[in-house]
Amino acid sequence: MSGLSDIGVSVEAEPGPGGGQGARIGNALPILHEIQTHLERLAQGGEPATIDLRAMPLAPGDYETLQRLLGEGEVSATIDALGPTRVRETAVRGVWWVSHHNATDEVVAEFIEVTRIPTILQTVDEDLVDGLSNLRQRLAQEEQSASE
Amino acid sequence: MAKDHDKEQTLGEALRQQGVSRRGFLKFCAATASLMAMPPSMVPAIAKALDKARRPSVIYLSFQECTGCAESLTRSHSPTLESLMFNAISLDYQETLQAAAGTAAETALHDAMKENHGKYLVLVDGSIPLKDDGVYSTIAGKTNLQILKEAAEGAAAVVAVGTCSSFGGIPKANPNPTGAVSVSELMKSGHIATKPLINVSGCPPIPVVITGVLAHYLTFGEVPALDVHGRPKAFFGETIHDRCYRRPFYDQGKFAKTFDDEGARSGWCLYELGCKGPTTYNACATTKWNGGVSFPVESGHGCLGCSEPNFWDKGSFYAPLSTGHWGTAEGIAAAAAAGAAIGIGAAAMSRRHQDTIAKEE
Amino acid sequence: MDLLTFARGPALQWSVAIFFLGVLWRLFGVFLLRRKKDYSRPRSTHLWRGAIKGLIVHLWPYKEFRPKVVQNYILGYIFHIGLAIVVFFFVPHILFIKNIIGVGWGGLPNTFIYITGAVTVAALVAMLVKRISNPVTRLLSNFDDYFSWFVTIAPVVTGLMAVAHFGARYEHLLAIHILSFELLLVWFPFSKLMHTFFFVVSRGTTGALFERRGTSA
Repeated sequence: MSGLSDIGVSVEAEPGPGGGQGARIGNALPILHEIQTHLERLAQGGEPATIDLRAMPLAPGDYETLQRLLGEGEVSATIDALGPTRVRETAVRGVWWVSHHNATDEVVAEFIEVTRIPTILQTVDEDLVDGLSNLRQRLAQEEQSASE
Repeated sequence: MAKDHDKEQTLGEALRQQGVSRRGFLKFCAATASLMAMPPSMVPAIAKALDKARRPSVIYLSFQECTGCAESLTRSHSPTLESLMFNAISLDYQETLQAAAGTAAETALHDAMKENHGKYLVLVDGSIPLKDDGVYSTIAGKTNLQILKEAAEGAAAVVAVGTCSSFGGIPKANPNPTGAVSVSELMKSGHIATKPLINVSGCPPIPVVITGVLAHYLTFGEVPALDVHGRPKAFFGETIHDRCYRRPFYDQGKFAKTFDDEGARSGWCLYELGCKGPTTYNACATTKWNGGVSFPVESGHGCLGCSEPNFWDKGSFYAPLSTGHWGTAEGIAAAAAAGAAIGIGAAAMSRRHQDTIAKEE
Repeated sequence: MDLLTFARGPALQWSVAIFFLGVLWRLFGVFLLRRKKDYSRPRSTHLWRGAIKGLIVHLWPYKEFRPKVVQNYILGYIFHIGLAIVVFFFVPHILFIKNIIGVGWGGLPNTFIYITGAVTVAALVAMLVKRISNPVTRLLSNFDDYFSWFVTIAPVVTGLMAVAHFGARYEHLLAIHILSFELLLVWFPFSKLMHTFFFVVSRGTTGALFERRGTSA
């Protein structure tokens, strides 16, 4: 068994700027090409698609490169459910960045959705039913207090 | 621990009762799908399944362990997810986290096992010592083996959390003074009942991998697809090497020669510094640690292979994978000397034979 | 003990030991044999010149023999050089050697090594086909010929399989690759593979002999 002396260590000068060649070798460009393919398909009448950013090996710098290249668009929304979820359309229309955070504002999941509108922003049928009964309740309460 | 929750409630009902909106539920399902390394297209199916899922009772048994795995689980950087998980499951016994102690704790354990016989999940943390009748690890006078045997009887499934319970881990490392064994070895030898077993190895396992396995069981009510070592293929199907972001450097032949040299600072491959990535199956390269911040290779240190069996006994962490135990210089010199001796002897015999032939001519 | 640990541990120790024992045995056993005294008058005393000339001249076949043997020479060079490149310029192999002799050197890009490996396998297969399809060589070939071919091609093939993750889990493919190399190590000293050491002396001696006798080639 080798001892500590067999572990190669050499300390040189001050550490330089981080990242090195990693960013150039990274996965940002392949992901963008995938997004492009999905967008083409969507534009031709196809289905929306979602990319899970946690499912791919992102080299240091990839995340920032993706953000830089996609940019920021006109729409941004925050959903307040079990912590904030930040949704924004990137500068590339049809490409949305959905970032789920927990109650202490840590990221729990991150998706890039190629779609007309991310599912989480939509109001589903069951919620409409809830909404209707909610509104009826509020109207009834208001009318009751108005007649008092 | 949570015993007053109505266990007949589905998970969906329980969450809505707690005031979680449908958007919140959808967010939970999306995060869970991401956790289980399932494609986003599966979210609707997961939402449907989780909505109808029942809440299983979970018993967490800690044996010969360092508590690193329990720490890892509670560090799962999705406290929302985790708290939901702990509301989704009914964690009826966990020594580090529970408030109860002493006989109250023991009673809680036995009540949970009795009430949910055949349906509860057992999480095992740490190896089980067998030497000297198992005296090396006991709780309330009972050996780990006795506790596990009793718990496994009525379990629906067993999850071995961490390399110690999956493969024996550090207690099993040479010379294994306590006779430590893994859960699977106990099932194979018949010491405990054979139940569906999931090995979530790693020293410790990645937090979200533990939660992901629980989430899968919760969602689908069954054990996920497993590899030859009983580990869920979703997280242990690929080697670190095959998913490593530094792979292009390996392929181009760019290696760091020592820690902190030019190559190391440029993020080159750590093969020469002993990285065991090629033979290690885990999700570190994609899922990473601390909420996706980094993993050992990204931080500049080679993979130790901590999710593999016997990783403590596979040679130095700093010797490259392609080196081996070729012996010693003295040993080889001895072999060479022996060979030379035999050769000289053979030559001597041949020379005598040659002389005989010459004389006859 | 799992297969990989066995291949990198006890199997390696024993095969390396047997290799050194065997090689020294053969070298001493052959070079200590008596040589027939040459009673002819020496036409030249610069025997070393002759030895070097012998080594150089045997690198390529004589013009008269070329039609029959040049293909074998070409295929032979392809797989020998290919093997040398793969063995000595693939970084994991360099590290293996460095671990034993203490010295390492720079490697070549992996893709280049993989292609070279494939070419080496092709050349080796071509040589076997030639050996079997020619009635003379088929008649003359013995177990040593075939088994030596096998222990030479097995590490290259298993190495490529390991890289491609083809056929089994990576750690098993790696173990089989290492074991196949260990088989070569053990077979080496007791087979025609010893030509690695002997060819220098054989060709040199022939050249020196020709020089002494004053023949031209």
